Amino acid sequence: MKGDRFEELILPHLDDAYTLARYLLRDEHDAQDVVQDAALRAFKYFNSFRDGDPRAWFMVIVRNCCMTWRRRHHIDTMTVPYADDHLSAVGESPSADAAAIEQSDRAALARVVGALPVEFREVIVLRELQGLSYTQISEVVGVPVGTVMSRLSRARKRLAGALGIGAEEAS
Amino acid sequence: MRCDDCLAQLDALHDSELMPVEETALRAHLSDCPDCARAYDILARTSHLLQEGLVHYSAPDVLKARIHGALMRERDAEPPVRAVAPWNRWSRLAAAGLAVALASSAATFAAMRQSTAARSAADQVLASHVRSLMPNHLIDVASNDQHNVKPWFNGRVDLSPQVPALDSSGFVLAGGRLDYLAGRPVAVVVYTRRQHVINVYSWPEAGSDTPEVTTTAQGYHLMRWSKGGVAYWVVSDLNAGELSQFVTLYQGRGLEQR
Repeated sequence: MKGDRFEELILPHLDDAYTLARYLLRDEHDAQDVVQDAALRAFKYFNSFRDGDPRAWFMVIVRNCCMTWRRRHHIDTMTVPYADDHLSAVGESPSADAAAIEQSDRAALARVVGALPVEFREVIVLRELQGLSYTQISEVVGVPVGTVMSRLSRARKRLAGALGIGAEEAS
Repeated sequence: MRCDDCLAQLDALHDSELMPVEETALRAHLSDCPDCARAYDILARTSHLLQEGLVHYSAPDVLKARIHGALMRERDAEPPVRAVAPWNRWSRLAAAGLAVALASSAATFAAMRQSTAARSAADQVLASHVRSLMPNHLIDVASNDQHNVKPWFNGRVDLSPQVPALDSSGFVLAGGRLDYLAGRPVAVVVYTRRQHVINVYSWPEAGSDTPEVTTTAQGYHLMRWSKGGVAYWVVSDLNAGELSQFVTLYQGRGLEQR
């Protein structure tokens, strides 16, 4: 039955959907509205889901709803400026692990990622947070795999620069 | 291998997207070329920092409740199909909720045997509130519009509950629900504030007016009062100050409407 299958396959991914929306829209209330809309659309079009990865299928819808929202609200290239002095500390420890990452570092990290252009931000979230493959990301974003790879590469270089990773031995 | 070719594939190597042959060739180059190896190290550290440090958000309960309410309306609009299968991922939450609810109904039973009617009503209201937080239970009629929610109760309960619009004060109407307390149907109006759910119970009860009384149980605040032959109970995990503000607004607007 449609409803049961939908609940089983799609609804477990609400956290991922909400996370993607939070990063793309940078507002919790907007993210909630958009994810609700996306879930309803997913339900309506669920008959068109054949097989494959239900999470990636759902992320396509969530991502499209986010982009429509951004267009409608004219959030096009808006980026939040950040001050470099906040960021230099983040990458200082080469062996930074989960426990060592302080709250302030997390905030700095969120700011740096938030300041990325949206087409870089989305590949970072889909890859680093959600672990999607290049092929899946290419489906979600709607660009060729080669473009996914180059965006991801450029995004990581920008982040490494902003976080000061690698700067210590270069100087 | 040229360094340019190597650098172009570092991300794919890190993300395990290369064919075994390509990977072997790349790793051979990395072991010979300190510059490329350093670039790979920076990439890997950046990626690791992102994976460990970026926040993975959880969808708030209020969002889940809203989606569930909306899906229920969709389903009712569609042809047959209405089996109640538990939300895969929420079933744990439901189990936890059920455990609490069972514990509260055990408490209800004990309380009813030993003591006062108010105490037992408090336990029943609290158990109902906890039950309402489980998937599928919060809302029967989902609407932010008081003019949809209020008429929905007509003919379902022997009292038309107050449904003031309070969203300008930050208390958003989520809908209404029918519950059974003490063996009779009771109207429940549901509001939300940020991630918190507020359940407002009301039913006819003979007796004189009583002022608000606040109690706390299991981390929830309960406020009750009686007015004009109606008993009101409000339950939420919202802090006591905001809940009290809500009650003042609910009463004030409620009176204006009459």
